[in-house]
Amino acid sequence: MSSAVVAPAYPSPRGWWTRRRRSYLIAFLFVAPAVVNFLLFRYVPILAAIRSSLWQYSLLGGYGKFIGLQAYGRLLQDPVFWKSLTVTVQYVLLKVPAQIVLSLALAILLQREDRFSAAVRSAIFAPVVTSIVVISVIWSLMYHVQLGLFNSILTSAGLPRVVFLSNARVALVAIVIMMVWKEIGFSLIVLMAGLKGIPDTFHEAARIDGASSWQQFRSITLPLLRRVLMFVVVTQTIFSFQVFVPVYTMTKGGPLDSTKVIVYYIYQNGFLFQDMGYASALSMITLIVLLGVSTAQMRWLRSEVEY
Amino acid sequence: MQVNRPSLAIEPLPLRPWRVAVPRRARNVAARGVQVALGVVLLIVYIVPFAWMILGSLRLETEIFQFTYPLSWHTFVPVVWSVKNFLDILGLSPEGRSFGLDFGRALGFTALVSAGVVVSSLIFNTMGAYFFARLEFPRKDLVLLFVIATLLIPFEAVMVPLYIVVRTLHLQDTYWALVLPWYASPFVIFALIQFFREIPRELDEAATMDGASHLGILRHVIVPNALPGLITTALLEFQFIWNLFYWPLIAVGRKDLQTIQVAIAQQTTQTQVYWGRIFAGSVLASVPVIILFLLLQRYYIKGVVMSWLKG
Repeated sequence: MSSAVVAPAYPSPRGWWTRRRRSYLIAFLFVAPAVVNFLLFRYVPILAAIRSSLWQYSLLGGYGKFIGLQAYGRLLQDPVFWKSLTVTVQYVLLKVPAQIVLSLALAILLQREDRFSAAVRSAIFAPVVTSIVVISVIWSLMYHVQLGLFNSILTSAGLPRVVFLSNARVALVAIVIMMVWKEIGFSLIVLMAGLKGIPDTFHEAARIDGASSWQQFRSITLPLLRRVLMFVVVTQTIFSFQVFVPVYTMTKGGPLDSTKVIVYYIYQNGFLFQDMGYASALSMITLIVLLGVSTAQMRWLRSEVEY
Repeated sequence: MQVNRPSLAIEPLPLRPWRVAVPRRARNVAARGVQVALGVVLLIVYIVPFAWMILGSLRLETEIFQFTYPLSWHTFVPVVWSVKNFLDILGLSPEGRSFGLDFGRALGFTALVSAGVVVSSLIFNTMGAYFFARLEFPRKDLVLLFVIATLLIPFEAVMVPLYIVVRTLHLQDTYWALVLPWYASPFVIFALIQFFREIPRELDEAATMDGASHLGILRHVIVPNALPGLITTALLEFQFIWNLFYWPLIAVGRKDLQTIQVAIAQQTTQTQVYWGRIFAGSVLASVPVIILFLLLQRYYIKGVVMSWLKG
């Protein structure tokens, strides 16, 4: 920094290689490892996906002849692809609103700084740091038709047994319930930070004005929390769109493809059917869809913030 | 944050505490009652699955199924307490050995991978964040854009292409395949930039006067002052890599390079599923991490808020 300030006063006689340029080079060396990482492991995979979807590609044989957009044409006519896209959208539309509404309710319920609230918050927080593999393995045992805990509770209460994971109409909802249970703590942290950012004086003033709790929520909490709320909606939508592990461990996409989300279908094509080219085409389409979703949501976020 | 609707806050109304106070106190008691009741329900909903897992790991396989119906005390609490499941999965009992189970190795290897990622990411993300927070560079905004744009790349959706890249580099089936892709993270860089900006620049300038280089400033000014931030990001990074499943599943096929998450998931795909062993493996993989995070909860929450909300 100091050299950068000094440099213009003493221009180097060698011309191009000035002290300023030298200090820039040193500065860049600091960020270079991160740049190389992002280039190699985040950007190059996209190029690799484009290449392996346009050329014939197999893991053992490498790249073959140019096939152009054939993989993409096949994709558009593949009913399983459309099915998986529908299932993914269903999953997002079920999970994100449920998670946001519940975590907002919990954030308000648990915002008091007492020991009991802190204990409940810690309990809700535990599954957030637990691996999704452990959670979904334990829940698939809880969902078990004969031996699971849920059916033990249901039958003991005199209710009929529910087939959770092998019924095409129930399986996706069962996964959604588990994922909301697991991830609610995460949005809870963010929303509670947002609630803390609202000065107490607003609520006090409203109370003095005689506003009910619901009125306070509608006209103070919700508008002031809007930016944080929309941020949570955006990030949760993008995350939920990429759900994979619970499907892998609990249902393998079944029954009748009712839980075959897009990332699981990509995995299946790449690693079970050994069709890396088609898997890459699917990855590209998912990438494009998600870029569309996130730019639309970002625009929405920006326009809403400046009202 | 901008105050958009000040109308409620300004208008002064005559105070009539005698009309509000009494019903409010009664209402507060009722509200507190409802709050506690809901809290207890939440505690049950969140603790039961973990209790079922932990207690289930401490009982014999046959016992787990024996008390499923009807729901009773012994649906959860073992009649005979036993650590046999743990001995089995760690390969310490003859039965476990005959199944070739060795969760101890998987745990050790996962710890090795996590250590590699946490240490390297502490070094390289700190350097990157120092660049953005302190150093001068032409068009630094473009470099920042390059980092921000990585957030738009859907992580799980590009695992197959990432595998193709890692294979081209001949890293598949090695320790490095599990470490190298994760030594830098945009989230961690954003969080660290926030933490570094809170350190007064005068400290750097004083160090520069004393002849410190950039590395000297990092070591003697930035790192000591941003220690809570570094602990926080190390925690986030540890949790991320310890729990990672999809990437280790595809990047590494060799059984001796299996991480704990992959080892657990594999227990469920066998023809005969041993619930007790699954419980025990899950306990080993999760309980230490949960305890660590409950103890360091404040750091973790700060990290999530810093890297998500402020970034």
